[in-house]
Amino acid sequence: MNETLGTLLIIAFVILGVLHVAPGLIWLERRLLALWQDRYGPNRVGPFGLFQVLADAIKMFFKEDWIPPFADKATFILAPCIINVTALTAFAVIPFAPGWSVVDMSVGLLFFLAMSSLGVYSVTLAGWASNNKYSLLGGLRASAQMLGYEVFMGLSLMGVVLMSGTFNLAKIVEAQQNTIWYCVPQFLGMMLFLIAGIAETHRLPFDLPEAEAELIAGFHSEYSSMKFGMFFIGEYIGITLISCLMTVLYFGGWDGPTFGISEGLALKLVQFGWFAAKTFVFLCLFILLRASFCRPRYDQLIAFGWKIMLPLSLANLLITGAALLALE
Amino acid sequence: MWPLLVFIAAVMVVVAAQIVLSHFLGQRHRERATGEPYESGIVSEGSARLRFSATFYLVAMLFVIFDLEAVYIFSWVISFRELGWSGYFKIFVFIAILLASLVYLWRIGALEAGPPKRRLREAEVK
Amino acid sequence: MIDRLDIVAELGSRFGHETFQVQPTRDEIPTLWVSRDKLREVVGYLKTDAPGPYKMLYDLTAIDERTRTHRPDQPASDFTVVHHLLSFDRNQDLRLKVALSETDLRLPSITDIWESASWCEREVYDMFGIKFEGHPHLYRLLMPRTWKGHPLRKEHPARATEMGPFQLPDEKQDAEQEALHFRPEEWGMKRESETSEFMFLNLGPQHPGTHGVLRIILQLDGEEIVDCVPEIGFHHRGAEKMGERQSWHGFIPYTDRIDYLGGVMNNLPYCLAVEKLAGIQVPERVETIRVMMCELFRIASHLVWYGTFAQDVGIMSPVFFMFNDRERIFDIVRAVCGGRMHPSWFRIGGVAQDLPNGWDKLILDFVNYLPARLVEWEKMVMQNRLFKARTQGIGAYTLEQAIDWGVTGPGLRACGCDWDFRKKRPYSGYQRFEFDIPTATRGDCYDRGLVRAAEMEQSLRIVRQCVENMPTGSYKADHPLTTPPLKEKTMRDIETLITHFLGVSWGPVIPPGEAFVGIEATKGNNGYYLVSDGSTMSYRTRIRTPSFRHMQMLPMMSRGATVADMLAIIGSIDFVLADIDR
Repeated sequence: MNETLGTLLIIAFVILGVLHVAPGLIWLERRLLALWQDRYGPNRVGPFGLFQVLADAIKMFFKEDWIPPFADKATFILAPCIINVTALTAFAVIPFAPGWSVVDMSVGLLFFLAMSSLGVYSVTLAGWASNNKYSLLGGLRASAQMLGYEVFMGLSLMGVVLMSGTFNLAKIVEAQQNTIWYCVPQFLGMMLFLIAGIAETHRLPFDLPEAEAELIAGFHSEYSSMKFGMFFIGEYIGITLISCLMTVLYFGGWDGPTFGISEGLALKLVQFGWFAAKTFVFLCLFILLRASFCRPRYDQLIAFGWKIMLPLSLANLLITGAALLALE
Repeated sequence: MWPLLVFIAAVMVVVAAQIVLSHFLGQRHRERATGEPYESGIVSEGSARLRFSATFYLVAMLFVIFDLEAVYIFSWVISFRELGWSGYFKIFVFIAILLASLVYLWRIGALEAGPPKRRLREAEVK
Repeated sequence: MIDRLDIVAELGSRFGHETFQVQPTRDEIPTLWVSRDKLREVVGYLKTDAPGPYKMLYDLTAIDERTRTHRPDQPASDFTVVHHLLSFDRNQDLRLKVALSETDLRLPSITDIWESASWCEREVYDMFGIKFEGHPHLYRLLMPRTWKGHPLRKEHPARATEMGPFQLPDEKQDAEQEALHFRPEEWGMKRESETSEFMFLNLGPQHPGTHGVLRIILQLDGEEIVDCVPEIGFHHRGAEKMGERQSWHGFIPYTDRIDYLGGVMNNLPYCLAVEKLAGIQVPERVETIRVMMCELFRIASHLVWYGTFAQDVGIMSPVFFMFNDRERIFDIVRAVCGGRMHPSWFRIGGVAQDLPNGWDKLILDFVNYLPARLVEWEKMVMQNRLFKARTQGIGAYTLEQAIDWGVTGPGLRACGCDWDFRKKRPYSGYQRFEFDIPTATRGDCYDRGLVRAAEMEQSLRIVRQCVENMPTGSYKADHPLTTPPLKEKTMRDIETLITHFLGVSWGPVIPPGEAFVGIEATKGNNGYYLVSDGSTMSYRTRIRTPSFRHMQMLPMMSRGATVADMLAIIGSIDFVLADIDR
């Protein structure tokens, strides 16, 4: 009974947590970008402009929820739901601290890959369902982009699996605690995954389907109100997810000094604190990337994925395997 | 497995709540041009439902093939310690074939997804 | 260099002296009247066969002569079409005029000789109703297709109050919308290829990537641009028409708004042209002040281009840094001129005020500050590998194509031609300054960027020389037509007081004549062709803008590129919609 209650608590905690982190990120991004770009950013509503996001959310809910008469109605509504459902669901397998995850799944990593791949449908379907030319181009670009990174995303993660011998995320963290954080032996794999992760979340420099200066928001040109908001939030949920995974797979998850605390809730809170701190660093990294890079063309992205990243991830796999066998 | 189901159900409720709430909270208006697709403020010529060319269709087909191959690699990865060196050499050959075919595809230009005319021009420049 | 009158004699001996009538002009550009039957033959000869050929169609415009009174040495004409050609080898211009009667407004098109004549001829058709026979797409260019009448004709009203109140009922709105509807057949475009259908996509006028209300209709095969049609005129404000009813002095603020990033740079060619008509020689101090302010505005304009170009290909941050530094220039401009973007600060025969106390420190601070920043941006933008991948080899044209299409400014210098008015035909005292003309070789988006980035450094050099060698003297020419005139003399006698009063209230009366002055503006050659009929207002004000020509060649540059490339190309042209539409 107690265990059930605990699990339900975790479920509530994850959903509410993610739904708060994502808007918080919007604020963080605006402020950080502003800092790097010699301007202020939102600083009027509430302390440090913190309530700006709240105001935006309220505005978003009260905006006209317009479904274009020329659009494919069912798909049009479904598309933004997909990205939120898949991105949120993927959080089910993330271990935030020992024992703190919704499910302790033996194929957790594969579950994440499956969910993230499903997410692409959202953008492509939105682009098609809008029945707008800009959106169609955006949707097409999303598919092209998917072809570019999806092919090496899974492979880039396999080095971690080779080293830990499991797809279970909690066990991967434990394996790192026993040996070394995988960011050292799997540095190449980590970089590959990071790049795939940015492409996955459609963030600049890989925001081709959106490309505001070219396609005017691309796949979500015709979206308004909270349906647009869901794409918007979905992007930030995606960033949070990739950052969590970076932490779990390459930076030892909750691993870190415990300051002499050795048991009970306090220990778990300290461990969660480490997890959150590491994740936060990656969130900032994502924002910094947005401030500094330039957008490639879709054919360049495909060529990059196939000609450079794919061979590299295969090579990474072979080298890791050989090294592990030789060491045994 | 039930926590996952509960989790997914909860996620769906949250998402549905957003859709429904905004549907009822939002305003409604209807003017002459409300029902037209956005195209920079000009009346559209032709619709967005057309027989459109996607120059990257070849890459798309290759993607399906390569992604399937990846599944074999996944299964090797998980049983890697049991299989030892013999398994390693087998997958080495497998990946070598994969890379060889990738090089072949690269050479015949199957990985170029850009518009054909520009490719011609770039070839001229080189 | 080949002598000025040479070409007149040469043409005379080839086509017969009776073919031409020579008209003297204030700007001393050889001006020949030619009959419309002979026009194509003469133009064709000048472009290809003449020694030192006139390879560039610099401008093509018309004049409604029906109410003009001072026309000495000119044949009878109701409407005159003016072809302005430029020869790089001779460093010389040539003006060919064709007289047309009101009842027979036709002449042969030269679009098959110069493709770049297309837009100019459409503009003349639009503004004067003159038909060009053989033009493939003789539609209105600047005015909406539904427009009645031809605005630059003298009988066309110039003010809204002369036209009755404007109303937009639903039916009219529908008709206007329908007129904007794109019909591919009109432009000889197919709707589908053998394998797929083409998408016709309106990029603009309401689009964040077009830098204003520009409309480009793309014919797309996938993301590949098969062809495109730029549609302009959404920013048209009738600047040339306004020139005909503002006093010579009162038109200066309008010039600021032509290339609205160029500020006082726009005043310069206009003031120089009026001064040429009036015969005013300005003091060296005026020239140096003008050069200094113009070069500051060149940097300001290039900064906007730099940032927005980077943003067009997806780098988000530089635009903020560059706008911040542009503000520093505006701080100087504000201190000197009182305005920011549109100071309207040059005057006929001088500038509005003398430089304020402490101006030199203000400018030197900036001149010392910027070079380090330029190095930083070079690293951030021009050396960015992704940026290079997006811009190198994209939107390239050769030197021949550039000249053929009338490209001037950085776009021309990016093809390896070091043509720059500041060196070739020094105006406003540029011959006194040391500076280099940066060039590049490949003529693609990246090289156009390189040239502009290097130009900013050269502009800084010039500004520094201005500060260090600012001549003493008056900020206005001592000439009766200087506007407003020097105040010191007014209190001596009634004659000078009256002259001053008339000059300020009615504006100066500029002697009859014609003059063209072109300068090296921020985006290319900007020029004013002014016709004075001896009154307080201009009879005809023709504004030759660089962006107009550059925009016209967009289809040539973008065929075979993708939508993403299109934005890189647009960004690299560095145009301003007001500079295109006027």
